[in-house]
Amino acid sequence: MKEFHASAHFIVLLLVLVSIGVNQQSSSDEAEIGEPAPVFTLPGTDGESYDLESLQGEFVVLEWLNFGCPYVERHYRTGNMPALQKEFTEKGVRWLSIVSSAPGTQGYYESDEMNEQNESMGGMQSAILLDPEGDVGKLYGAKTTPHMYIIDKEGVLIYKGGIDDQPRASYEKTKLANNYVRAALEEAMNGDEVSVAISRPYGCSVKYKK
Amino acid sequence: MTMKFRLVWAVACGMLICSSSTFGQTDDPSPFSEAALIGDFEWIAPGTRFTVGVTLKLDEDWHSYWINPGDVGEPITLTWDLPSGFSAGPIQWPYPEKIDAGPLRSYGYSNVVTFLVTITPPNELSESPVTLSTTADWLICRDVCLFAQETVSLSLPVREAVPTPGPYFEEIAAARAKLPVQDPAWTIEASHYSNSFALRVSPPTDAAPDLQGAYFFPAQLMLLEHAVDQPMSKDGDAFVFALQQSEYATELPDRLQGVLVASEGQYFDTAQTARALDIDVQLRTEADQNTSSTLPILILFALIGGLLLNLMPCVFPVLSIKLLSLAQHNKLDSANRVWHGVAFATGVVVLFLVLAGLLFTLRAAGSQIGWGFQLQSPLFVAGMAFLFLAIGLNLFGVFDIRGFTFTGLTQSGTSHSLMRSCQDGALATLVATPCTAPFMGAALGAAVVLPTAQALAIFVALGLGMAAPYVILSTFPVLSDKLPRPGQWMETLKHVLAFPMLGTSVWLAWVFGNQAGVNGLGLLLLGLLLFAVAAWIVGRWPSVQVSSSVRIVTRGIALVSVCMGIWSAYQGAQQQSMSQTDVTSDGLWSVYSTEQVQQLSREGRPVFVDFTAAWCLTCQVNKKTTLSSSTLLSAFAQKDVVLMRADWTSRNAEITRALESHGRSGVPLYVLYRGNNDPPVLLPEVLTESIVVDALALLPNRAESLNTTNPTDT
Repeated sequence: MKEFHASAHFIVLLLVLVSIGVNQQSSSDEAEIGEPAPVFTLPGTDGESYDLESLQGEFVVLEWLNFGCPYVERHYRTGNMPALQKEFTEKGVRWLSIVSSAPGTQGYYESDEMNEQNESMGGMQSAILLDPEGDVGKLYGAKTTPHMYIIDKEGVLIYKGGIDDQPRASYEKTKLANNYVRAALEEAMNGDEVSVAISRPYGCSVKYKK
Repeated sequence: MTMKFRLVWAVACGMLICSSSTFGQTDDPSPFSEAALIGDFEWIAPGTRFTVGVTLKLDEDWHSYWINPGDVGEPITLTWDLPSGFSAGPIQWPYPEKIDAGPLRSYGYSNVVTFLVTITPPNELSESPVTLSTTADWLICRDVCLFAQETVSLSLPVREAVPTPGPYFEEIAAARAKLPVQDPAWTIEASHYSNSFALRVSPPTDAAPDLQGAYFFPAQLMLLEHAVDQPMSKDGDAFVFALQQSEYATELPDRLQGVLVASEGQYFDTAQTARALDIDVQLRTEADQNTSSTLPILILFALIGGLLLNLMPCVFPVLSIKLLSLAQHNKLDSANRVWHGVAFATGVVVLFLVLAGLLFTLRAAGSQIGWGFQLQSPLFVAGMAFLFLAIGLNLFGVFDIRGFTFTGLTQSGTSHSLMRSCQDGALATLVATPCTAPFMGAALGAAVVLPTAQALAIFVALGLGMAAPYVILSTFPVLSDKLPRPGQWMETLKHVLAFPMLGTSVWLAWVFGNQAGVNGLGLLLLGLLLFAVAAWIVGRWPSVQVSSSVRIVTRGIALVSVCMGIWSAYQGAQQQSMSQTDVTSDGLWSVYSTEQVQQLSREGRPVFVDFTAAWCLTCQVNKKTTLSSSTLLSAFAQKDVVLMRADWTSRNAEITRALESHGRSGVPLYVLYRGNNDPPVLLPEVLTESIVVDALALLPNRAESLNTTNPTDT
């Protein structure tokens, strides 16, 4: 008993040390790792409206998309992107492909034509969102297609960057690349820290409104 | 290769087979561009190195890319197919140009570009001619991007004679002229400040180019923000370029590498040939500048800092505990006292090491934390408030559980008492950590960036410094004998010392209130009250003097009371403060933003940042005295200084990063950004009016600063 009491205040101290882990978030308008992802509402090609805020409680992947871009085409034609989309949407991840191409630029299509394009490319995402003004693209600082972002269940950005580490992969070797998005999703869904949270985005430039 | 009338859907041969597209298609593997392989000499001499070039001819408006393509793009790659014994060196990259597309910027080439490669033939060559072949893969972009690939080759005869220039000699010489030069006559320095780099180039006396409009192309990927201006200013003869760090920069490199390209018609050499200067320079961080003072000095600072910790407000209550235990140990023989001193020092050092380990671990895990981070967690603060209330009540004698005293007063010189000395040391340290005293700030900041072994040495020194007075007093009886003998005065002293304990508790409650708002504070106070009730019950019915049934009932009520108290405080900690303290309360001060600081610096406006937190007493003192003085505020206004307050009361990643960029991991920190490319000035933690006024004197007058930083705008 005496021993116990003697170390009682030490235990209190240890307990409060543990509470260091508890903390609050501060908000920011930019897409920064560890910060709440900027919220937006965009129309989908399926006629629905998508509000990021209402997706809290689910993992969300944002993929900047331009079907006219050879990098995007490589990842779709090889089945790499559709396979990733299928694998994780089946696990409950919401996969939103965002097109920030301005009207008249590469990759811009009206909803129906976009859906046809997507079908021919075998896209398996949850929805394709149209951002012709480029507001959401600029809000996230999306530079390339593809440019990938992952948001966790609390709405916090946990990954931004490229799809993988092989910008110059051939068609055959595309699937052999180290896929950062898969790794980050697997780690986050296991409750682990994302080991690579930032990587260099590569691909074609997003065709923003001039 | 002709320009197609529609966008052409490209294929990189061997890479992709394009099946369907709404656009037209071509089988041309290198759309809108052509590659060729040229050599400088007429023939190859065995063992004599020569240069070849892969020339790309690009159609109008199409681009190929530099080694760092910038926001988008990919550099060309060459895959050589050489006869045995031949080897090819790396690509020598000509300096690039900026390619802007909306908010994005790339680095690359247009029209014609030649990539030079040095070829080393073997010393023995029997066959002639020799065919060199390479497969070039490149990305070509206009508003759209296409992959391109072409295999090009070059056949050259072999002769023993010294080779003579061939038909492409001039072309290769022209390409060589576009390589960046290394010029030791130029002094180049690079340093890193909060989220920005300063590249400083000083010309030799005989060359005086105008570097207005010059551009630094970083060779490192993901280091700089590309699509932003690089404001240049002159500092004497030197040119200073301000470069913005990329949000994709994950770690700081040791060196800054790239190419500085002068605007058209300007050259770095007197011969007027070199438009591009090769930059590869050690990157100095502010921490380097702080730690350039050697380790022994840092350790000395750490010792002094630790010593001063004993005088900090948040350690003072613990100092009281120590004084009480000292009086207690007076009864012991000198050997025993030494052991108590050693035990105390051990406790201090061990907890410093534990905290250091925790700090390193959390840092490694990527958490944005800093020294004093404990007080940013409301739960920790609540826990500390409970602890100090308990100590206060204990000192008042409200409760006195046998064997459970914070003071060690009732204990004699047993091993338990040694244990307690050790624990007292640890307790003192834990309470002291948030007080980043003067001296300690720099030492700790350095510790965060130093290699682990050296950093640990600094933590040990801090601990030893803090334990020193106690150890000295307990080791030299002559000194400690001067302490009064134990007696009734100790009881009085105990009660007197209870007040600073409760005072600390009040302060912690105020900090908590800043984090959790008035409702949260109410819940914490209720929790503290319930805790006090439990303590009183335990003290009123001491376990040894009452029957077991009374014991069970009273202890049960006390336990329930404590649990409810803790629950209440926990609920309180979940409350969010409605308004951030400090920040919104004063119209003169705006909320800190790194981006805004950079923006204002670019505009040439000086910025003063007060890095503060509600739980930091030094900060609060400075804020209420120095930083509120009308003299100072008018001095700020005179120099047109923008005032910003970075409130670190709760965890904030942006502010933590900003602190780190100044080599610090705690508050207070006062930084004056001078609105030009000079490094920001860090002011001492204990801030006086004259210190700030002196620092402001460094600033140029408003009109002057506009002239020097933005000559073209005036």
